[in-house]
Amino acid sequence: MSDINAVDLRGFISGAMDEVFDTMLSMDIELADGGVQADVDGERIVGSVGFAGKAVGSVNIQVNEAFARSITAAMLGMEEDEIEGDEEIHDVIGELSNMVGGDLKSRLCDGGLDCELSIPSITTGSDFRMEIKGWERHENLIFRHQEQFALVDVYVKTNG
Amino acid sequence: MTLKVLAVDDSKTIRMIVKKAFKSYDCEVIEAENGKEGLETASKEKPDLIILDITMPVMTGPEMLEELKKDPGLMEIPVIMLTAESGKENVVQILKMGVKDYMVKPFKGEQLIERVTKVVTLESKQKEVEDTSNKYFSTVEDVQILALPQKLDRPVSVDIERHFRSKVEAMVNSGVKKFILDMSKIGGTNVTLIKLIITVIQICQKSGIGIRIVGTAALSDELKGFSETSEITVDLSIEDAKGAF
Repeated sequence: MSDINAVDLRGFISGAMDEVFDTMLSMDIELADGGVQADVDGERIVGSVGFAGKAVGSVNIQVNEAFARSITAAMLGMEEDEIEGDEEIHDVIGELSNMVGGDLKSRLCDGGLDCELSIPSITTGSDFRMEIKGWERHENLIFRHQEQFALVDVYVKTNG
Repeated sequence: MTLKVLAVDDSKTIRMIVKKAFKSYDCEVIEAENGKEGLETASKEKPDLIILDITMPVMTGPEMLEELKKDPGLMEIPVIMLTAESGKENVVQILKMGVKDYMVKPFKGEQLIERVTKVVTLESKQKEVEDTSNKYFSTVEDVQILALPQKLDRPVSVDIERHFRSKVEAMVNSGVKKFILDMSKIGGTNVTLIKLIITVIQICQKSGIGIRIVGTAALSDELKGFSETSEITVDLSIEDAKGAF
């Protein structure tokens, strides 16, 4: 599987998101149908991890503030009004991207595309756009939980 | 004797999840944010078990492990490694480090405990868990009653839902078809309560069990404010509910 074009990125990410949301959050999510316009509007949080080696790229998970709070409360087993501050939310979203990115990294390595994972980073705000340049593959997946959405972007290229 | 567990992870989230996993056991969970802090804490506290993340700033998990193995006072402490990477090579590398076991994220608390019990003996606080079931559930004649507490937070709701599912299974097996959800003690509505009400109603409907809800007039008004519960009829007493079956 050293050919990046043969990698089932959508399948891997979809599986990882299902497992993380089910195991850690007890939340059912579904891959939204194609054509769904899911605007993650207002204040947003993006958790990102990068990987580098024979495969280079990043996994970015974007949610709005309200969904981030729900996810944080579910992950930590508390009510939303018990969340002490942004630090907890950022840590949870960062850990979410770490787990999804970690799973993808493992699959890439098992397929001969050895790489290392970065530590997660968080971007927050309401008026920004993320652009990644120079990728060979880009997948955009939209996941829905009730009326909330998580947007996942994966960018990959082979190195050398 | 209280077991001392040291959780070393730069993610506060993971440290909280580990701490929660041991909640039902006679354990004291101490935390450290990185390998250097973990080493200092291990030297001071002499834990019985270390749960250790791999990727951390300042000092990584493998680096901390290497230092632990050099210290005669710490080298025998069993270590369970945490990793976000499930790949075969990663697992082989971890096991070569001389750890007792490893846990891939994401994981449920019960899964971690299962790994831990293979390494150390855990004494559970089982009695408290069983009391929870008796605390909320009762049977009056041929009616199963679930009385919710005044304050329903997420951990309590998760616990109640777990017991409720077992009770429904027992009801179906024994032919008990009447269930009352008693919310007369509830102090106020919140998202957790609404979710639990919906779950209980759905499970009863799916299992062919008749359900009545008991609460105050004020609670009935509050439930009408949520689209998911606006159609629910609330009886004002257990007797009214029993009569309505």
